[in-house]
Amino acid sequence: MKRRIIMKKSLSVFLCLLLTVGASFANGSKDAASAKFSKDPDFANGKFGTTRSITVEVFDRSNDGGTNPENNFYTDYIKAGMLKEHNVKVTFKRVPRWTEPDAMNNLLAAGTAPDLCLTYSMPTINTYAQMGGVLDIAPYLDTYKSDLSNLYNTVGDLNINFARDPVKNVVYAISAVRYVNARTATFVREDWLKKLNIAEPTNSAEFEAMLVAFKDNASTLLGKDAAKMIPFSMGVDVGWEGGLILDQFIPNAISDKDWWINGFCDRHTLQPGIKEGVRLLNKWYNLGLIWKDFPLYPVGDKTAANNAKAGYVGAFIGNWDGPYRDGDNGIVGGLHKVVGPDANYIAVDTFKNDAGIYRKYQSSPLDRFLFLPSTNKQPLASMMYLDFISKPEVRKFLQIGEEGVTHITQANGAIKAKAAKAPKIMNSSNNIDLTMTINGLDVGDPSLNALSLALGYAGVDPKYIQKSYLLQKVGARYDPIFTVGTVASESGQGPQFQVKRDTLLAQAVVSKPVDFDATWDNGMKAILASGVQKIIDERAALYEKYYGAKK
Amino acid sequence: MITSKESKIGDRFLIVFCFLVIVVCFVPILHIAARSLSSMESLIRNDVMLLPIGFNIDAYKYVLADGKFTWALFWTAILTIIGTGVSLTMTTMAAYPLTFDHLKGRKFFNTVIIFTMYFNAGTIPMYLLLKDLSMLDKPVVLIVPYCLSVFNMIIMRSFLNSIPDSMRESAEIDGAGPIRVLISIYLPLSTPVLATLALFYAVGRWNGFSDALMYVNNRHYYPIQLLLYNLIMATSNIDVVQQEGGSLPGLSESLKAAAIMFATIPILCVYPFLQKYFIAGATLGAEKG
Amino acid sequence: MPKKKQDLGKYLSRYWTLYLLLFLPVLYFFIFKYIPMTYIQIAFKKYSIIKNVWTMPWADNHGMEYFIQAFSNRDFIFALRNTVMLNFLDLVVGFPAPILLALLLNELKFKNLKKFTQTVAYMPHFLSWIIISGLALQLFAPNTGMINGLINRMGFPSVPFMNEPVHWVVTYVLMGIWQSVGWNTIIYLAAIAGISPELYEAAAIDGAGRIRRMWHVTLPGIRPTIVVLLILNLGRILGSEFDRPFVLGNPLVKDVCNVISVFVYNSGIRGLQFSLTTAVGLFQSVVCVIFLFIADFLAKRFGERGIV
Repeated sequence: MKRRIIMKKSLSVFLCLLLTVGASFANGSKDAASAKFSKDPDFANGKFGTTRSITVEVFDRSNDGGTNPENNFYTDYIKAGMLKEHNVKVTFKRVPRWTEPDAMNNLLAAGTAPDLCLTYSMPTINTYAQMGGVLDIAPYLDTYKSDLSNLYNTVGDLNINFARDPVKNVVYAISAVRYVNARTATFVREDWLKKLNIAEPTNSAEFEAMLVAFKDNASTLLGKDAAKMIPFSMGVDVGWEGGLILDQFIPNAISDKDWWINGFCDRHTLQPGIKEGVRLLNKWYNLGLIWKDFPLYPVGDKTAANNAKAGYVGAFIGNWDGPYRDGDNGIVGGLHKVVGPDANYIAVDTFKNDAGIYRKYQSSPLDRFLFLPSTNKQPLASMMYLDFISKPEVRKFLQIGEEGVTHITQANGAIKAKAAKAPKIMNSSNNIDLTMTINGLDVGDPSLNALSLALGYAGVDPKYIQKSYLLQKVGARYDPIFTVGTVASESGQGPQFQVKRDTLLAQAVVSKPVDFDATWDNGMKAILASGVQKIIDERAALYEKYYGAKK
Repeated sequence: MITSKESKIGDRFLIVFCFLVIVVCFVPILHIAARSLSSMESLIRNDVMLLPIGFNIDAYKYVLADGKFTWALFWTAILTIIGTGVSLTMTTMAAYPLTFDHLKGRKFFNTVIIFTMYFNAGTIPMYLLLKDLSMLDKPVVLIVPYCLSVFNMIIMRSFLNSIPDSMRESAEIDGAGPIRVLISIYLPLSTPVLATLALFYAVGRWNGFSDALMYVNNRHYYPIQLLLYNLIMATSNIDVVQQEGGSLPGLSESLKAAAIMFATIPILCVYPFLQKYFIAGATLGAEKG
Repeated sequence: MPKKKQDLGKYLSRYWTLYLLLFLPVLYFFIFKYIPMTYIQIAFKKYSIIKNVWTMPWADNHGMEYFIQAFSNRDFIFALRNTVMLNFLDLVVGFPAPILLALLLNELKFKNLKKFTQTVAYMPHFLSWIIISGLALQLFAPNTGMINGLINRMGFPSVPFMNEPVHWVVTYVLMGIWQSVGWNTIIYLAAIAGISPELYEAAAIDGAGRIRRMWHVTLPGIRPTIVVLLILNLGRILGSEFDRPFVLGNPLVKDVCNVISVFVYNSGIRGLQFSLTTAVGLFQSVVCVIFLFIADFLAKRFGERGIV
């Protein structure tokens, strides 16, 4: 009994001690204060009186043979320029590209995030903003507009104001501009078409016939590897790698309004008509035309790409320049090595919608989102940085580098990229990690841009790039942007929803045809019930509120 | 008397069984080793099984030449050695006093310590604590926060308890204080458990990467598994693939395999090295009788 | 009273070094285990990245907002069910496995074979799950996997190791065993090494065959170790490792492969909902403690020395 009392006493003393110490620990870290806007008297004609210091986020891709992302030939160029033109000292802070969301969380939580950050995920910024972790840059964009002319000219008004809250007039992020607005394309094996004497398919029925032909002629095409034939390869991300097949069932007459209301899903899964597209995939899967094991391999797994490189795959859907990237290590590069120089993937337009158009639902010109964490003490200097790297001569240099070293100017003026080694190697293609405000090559002239683009792929005949790029413009329809501020019900939904969506699509495709309707309908119901219907409803309401009057 | 027939059948069964275990456990490592020595074409075609096809050591040459692998290996080795030393010391300092039945407050200490094994605050609170202690992004954060495992401490305590009190009592009669007793009597007899725990701690530190993932940003402090994770798992990162859509540059297949071998082989060699200390336990059993 | 104080004084002057030894470990636990517990209050608050833990605002519904969110989320309930089911199977099948292996290895006469097998047996433990998942797919894929290739050649239809829920669970548990059994035998082998050889001789003289010796000498000899490890593992019934279900899972078996850790990863961490994550973690820990005390009580009932 006495022992018990002693135990109890010592435990309670312990707990009191714990709470006191705990409280004192926490008091050590202060709440981050958010700066209030006021015009900076030290700033005139784009320059600061006293030298300011900022840190800028840069991705670390850990690529083979790459240079230190924080300290290399190109960062030196930027640092020198910033010091000279704006009297701002720049330090780069590296963030691992692959674990970027985790790293960003850590940095923000620790209060050590760089002054200028970028991310692909707007919901992330919104969530941080709701917690008070992001600075409102509307005052800087408005007050200093004349000093930010390069920024405005490069990205355009739309990208600056797309996230401006119509009521509170706050801007938490601006967007870089996407110069090459292309998404996915359908690729087929050019050499197989020749061998079997088939013309490029121009509609869905011909495409299916082509796949059947691949399957039936497996021994002709692959010899002893006939069992490894994959007429159509797909990945577990069915919305992306089967996207064009699904999109053809979306009614052509769909309005921008409805498109946007259902637009939470970037794979278009919430749009009308998708179910029929999945039904078609289901039919093809059960006919043995689709890679049987596709749902087992996680996103990003190399097996599908390796199958393509090894020559087993007849057709697939992917990024418009996907097979042509990475030179020797890319799909076409591998194909040339394993199969031969005649083997190639060519982009084709095959899937017509109900109006007979090869519809491509392209993204809006929004690209990466740039924001300033609330720990930023030099917001104006940060904005000047964005202006500096949007300067045409600066970004052109960053994108193409030095003549003869990282590019060779062709007779017609087009730029052909050249792979360099350290110290002038570009850690990301066209130094996209450093050119924060632009994605896509811009040498100043649109026609030269197109020509240069085609030359940018090592080991690939430019005609393939050109064809794929041209097809991207055929029937293109771009995502509309409606500024409604934050959609509250979207917070926290992103990753959960993606998982559910991918699961539903995969399960529906592999199900037996008799089970298809039940699988799809039940799955869709569950998704909508888990909070997605709320998002759709909220979007509809917000649209009515801000755009309902205008038609 | 044991019938020789019975033991012969038993022996044969055991040998077959061992053979199966060896195959099942060794084959995967063999497969990865084969991949690391094969040509890229054969890997793309997925032809490699147990033997390398298109034998070449390019991948290893690359790994050894690339500073970041060799540095990470060296750094992880240092962390492991220091970490294991710290952990063993802490574990002994905690376990030994708790073997004294008459220790005042023993129940209190036991409860307080064991409770932490079942109720832990979670990753986020730990992260916030380390942030408040300014330990983030410093090497010490990879050694201290998880240096003492209650599980291992219980093992050590059980072991120490099994050493008969008579040995301790005779030393105490001779006037030795508890620490003298620890050093002169308990530690020499504890080589099996120290070796076992050293192995556990060493492997835990060598293979561990989730703490570094959360607490360290500076790439020079990455243990080798985290480096590996970044290079291999990275290209499967869901978010990145969706943003940059589908095809990412990654390590070539043979390089991946070579990196895995590079990170795994060193620690595989630790157990055979420690095995001789395990044998000491057998003699302890004899002494106990 | 004074006598007691005198006794205490004498005791401390003799054994003060023990407390000295304990000082550092206890400090460690205090700082790194108990202080973080004060941060658990996040589970009841609205997490804000820029606010201090003590100044964050309380969550709705008297702070229970996130618990309510978790339990009303159908996915979480499924994750809970899956976690218990998979852990239970791991326990039932995976707990005896290393014991069995240790017993069998112990019987081996050839020391070199025994050493070699031991060394090889723990090798899979060093492969991270990311690597293993790649291997698993190569082996078990229904159409392109090696094993099904062999099965097909023998004339049988493919076995859906990874794409049917029941098969997947079996594969999952077996892979868990494969990865950890060799490693877990280490403790048991060390314990077996501590059994006096005289006991074996005595049993042999009494006419006990091999199996009977195992049953009557070896097993009882390591019984304390088994009990301790069993108690420790029982408490983990709700715990959830992340790597194995995450990498072995795929959309076709979502109903069984989603466990709490994956749920937390998708909803909490990737979705930036830290309060939810902490709330779920708190729930898991509380259940762990309950199980610990139950298991410890049962052990003591059966005459073994518990761990509390």
